[in-house]
Amino acid sequence: MDETVRAVSSCSRVAAMSVEIRRNFGTVRVPAGLNGLLPALILIVLFFVVPVLVLLLRSVTEPEPGLQNYAALLGDGTYARVFFNTFLVAALVTIVTVLVAFPVAWMLAIVPSGLASIVFGIIILSMWTNLLTRTYAWMVLLQRTGVINRTLMATGVIDQPLPLINNLTGVTIGMVYIMLPFMILPLVGTLRAIDPMTLRAASLCGASPFQAFRRILLPLSLPGVAAGGLMVFVMSLGYFVTPALLGGTSNMMLAEMIAQMVQSLLNWGLGSAAAFILLVVTMALYALQLRLAGARRMSGGI
Amino acid sequence: MLLDYDRMGGLRVALLGFTALVAGFLLLPVVFIVLLSFGSSRWLAFPPPGWTLKWYQELFADPAWLNAALTSARIATMTALLAVAIGLLASFALVRGRFAGREILRGLLLTPMVLPVVVFAIAIYAFFLRLGLGGTTIGFVIAHTVLALPFAIIPIATALEGFDKSIEDAAIVCGASPLEARLRITLPSIRIGIFSAAIFSFLASWDEVVVAIFMASPSLQTLPVKIWGSLRSDLSPVIAAASSLLVGLTLALMVVTALLQRKFRT
Repeated sequence: MDETVRAVSSCSRVAAMSVEIRRNFGTVRVPAGLNGLLPALILIVLFFVVPVLVLLLRSVTEPEPGLQNYAALLGDGTYARVFFNTFLVAALVTIVTVLVAFPVAWMLAIVPSGLASIVFGIIILSMWTNLLTRTYAWMVLLQRTGVINRTLMATGVIDQPLPLINNLTGVTIGMVYIMLPFMILPLVGTLRAIDPMTLRAASLCGASPFQAFRRILLPLSLPGVAAGGLMVFVMSLGYFVTPALLGGTSNMMLAEMIAQMVQSLLNWGLGSAAAFILLVVTMALYALQLRLAGARRMSGGI
Repeated sequence: MLLDYDRMGGLRVALLGFTALVAGFLLLPVVFIVLLSFGSSRWLAFPPPGWTLKWYQELFADPAWLNAALTSARIATMTALLAVAIGLLASFALVRGRFAGREILRGLLLTPMVLPVVVFAIAIYAFFLRLGLGGTTIGFVIAHTVLALPFAIIPIATALEGFDKSIEDAAIVCGASPLEARLRITLPSIRIGIFSAAIFSFLASWDEVVVAIFMASPSLQTLPVKIWGSLRSDLSPVIAAASSLLVGLTLALMVVTALLQRKFRT
């Protein structure tokens, strides 16, 4: 008797569970949602994840299994200089870009829309113009006999042409030029989201404009500055074209070194080890940037 | 007061002046290159001693430039079509799907945008050498579609997130098939996103240099590879002529985008 009751009740429980499972399957529809992702996933896994993994594998198998490629990269002074130079250029470009972009973004956030759209138009034009076109223009502008040197000499500011290209100055100018839109555009959003009332209140309470800037405007825009600055830094770390054309041989950057190791020296082991180091640094910083952007979204709803 | 345009006093003048300077800096290379392409000096003297069209004549006389431009246009068009099609399907799944790991998958699909291109370039170069796809149009299109996919997914997914799904459901309730509802209600509503995706993925391929340098063969060169090769040998004004045409194309794209956006809004 007792056992039948138990059997019946467990039976009904199983039946209820199976109904529930069926209902869950009916509403969740896992496969239906995933179908659309299949082409994208096949493309990315087959032609992005697999090739990158195969490449990274070569860094520990060529010319022979082991970590000798990493030991060579991290132990050699020449390579250490390339790493140092890469970080130096990326940091310099980031600092200059932030300093130049902030006032422009500030202006764009508050200026009447007609004036703003002209500046936005110029930003988009420069951003969408072919990368090599822009770099070519800077090569011509900055060369020894270029317009900038000639103008400076004609006006008597200098009497010898300045070395503006194939060195740190050239790379910095060219890279800041490319990175500016990526900093200005998101920063405008951050600054627009700040309530002007907070600054009016500060001023009413007796804060000087400088105090209001330092203690209200700057802290409130800092998440945007940090996220944008980190993005510029990450992009600069792996940049290839501009440093290769505007930089000199004495301050080569990591991306160019990787390309050279593979293309001219055919040293795939060393090249892929360097690529792996670049990948790890980039991805770690990117994760940090996502966290910053995520934190901002949660706290400010921007 | 620091965010009130009308009440900023001297600071406003300073900020306006600085913004004008930066706008000039951003405009300088673009304007300069166009002026230079009409200058008669082979050594790129500026201001030029005279004006000429001979660099354009030289450009059009050399079939290598035209071939490179056509190759680029072909590859970029195929890339844009493929990226938008794949990106559209993926965006629907990413925005509407409710499955575990959705955020991770989204991150995975967007990774090609973040990873330094040079890493992907040598990886896909080595991979395609083994598959026999190096220096082929198919190889170019596949590699560029990987790079363009994030630029297709982001605008489409954003547009789709802003679209009220109940409108699509209403169409189905009124008798449309789910496919019909998507094609005739949802797709027209997110057309700005689709259009932006097409432009961005076209540009992602058209302007792509690094993968192209590795993948190119003597018989298959895109425009950026041709420019890169010329830049490394000399700074001939012919490059300025080619660059000016590219600037013209950019301007045309911007005008089309602005016009279409205005049309879509009304």
